[in-house]
Amino acid sequence: MNRVRLAACTLTFLFAAFLASTSARAKEVRVTIVYDDVATDVASNSTDAGQLWITTADLTRATRFELKPQGVCRDQLCFPVPKARANELVRKSSSATLFNLLAFAQLVQQPVTHDAALSTWYFGLRADQRQGLASLQAPDFTLPDMAGQPHSLSDFRGKKVLLVTWASW
Amino acid sequence: MPGWQAIYQQLKDKKFEIISVAQDTNGVKDAGPWITAAKPTYTALIDEKHLVSKLYNMVNVPTGVWINEAGKIVRPNEVAFVDDRFKTFTGLDSEPYLTALKDWVEKGEKSTYAMSEERLREKLNANDPDMILAAAEFGLGEYLYKGGHLPEAIPHFKEAQRLNPKSWNYKRQAYALSDAKRDYGTTFADEVQKSGGSKVYYQPPDFPQQPAAHPNP
Repeated sequence: MNRVRLAACTLTFLFAAFLASTSARAKEVRVTIVYDDVATDVASNSTDAGQLWITTADLTRATRFELKPQGVCRDQLCFPVPKARANELVRKSSSATLFNLLAFAQLVQQPVTHDAALSTWYFGLRADQRQGLASLQAPDFTLPDMAGQPHSLSDFRGKKVLLVTWASW
Repeated sequence: MPGWQAIYQQLKDKKFEIISVAQDTNGVKDAGPWITAAKPTYTALIDEKHLVSKLYNMVNVPTGVWINEAGKIVRPNEVAFVDDRFKTFTGLDSEPYLTALKDWVEKGEKSTYAMSEERLREKLNANDPDMILAAAEFGLGEYLYKGGHLPEAIPHFKEAQRLNPKSWNYKRQAYALSDAKRDYGTTFADEVQKSGGSKVYYQPPDFPQQPAAHPNP
């Protein structure tokens, strides 16, 4: 009898501990970020309207952008963070620096779409990636042939190119 | 595709390349058999994410763009038939397009078919916010579909179609991944009828001194 009561007691304790631990992390949700058509699962501790806060480590994991003193950077590309908007983009938590990917998208004029049921955020082409058309420079791309071998439009500089799309459908 | 191989044979020694890009969400699975059958020696690429349509704001297939030796666009998005397989459907003759293409490959910027920068900008529609958002809705739909979530993908495909009603790509690719009647309440044939019929489904290329216009139905 005692043993049963002890077991029940232990279970109650474990359950309470479980509740405490989940409520401490209640705000944290798993989301999928699709950036440059690559999907990455990350934890976000708040997805209030207009906000998607992730750690700067996850920022780099999901987008290859890094938060640096000079701005949000990737390779040669760097977007300075305007002082007036710094609070919308970056904040410190007790354990990490957090970055609001939706505010950044707004800053770089990037369309974002969202599927609530599957907690998925899709990030489209940023303004810098769409610039080609206005300059009349043909936007470059790299795509595979049937054997998986990649080819870029820019491989064909020095030749005239007919770029033509088609589809099986 | 066979038509492009024939024109490539004629022009390939004049510093000319054809890059064909299959806009197929299912990639090699759907586009592969066509490429295998055509045995192209030009560059035939697979574009599961419709990246080229997204980058160039293309709304249908086949869509051709001419790009010069320096990587600059000299003729933007337009229907690019190089044979007459679909002529009975479209009413479009491939001959004017081929004549224009050969003229440009010969004469470059001096060709009357190379467009002025002003006309190019007008036609490329570079900064239409609805088109930009539509591309992101379509991208999300494709991602969800590929993850096995067709029911969740459909509302995003529909939103892309609503935001960019000119895009046949968004309609036809979505219909091809679904039962169009069940999921979209329509079919490709119905949509072509609604748009005015197959003879106006493609805007003919905008050439100077357009040869006799195609009779409308």
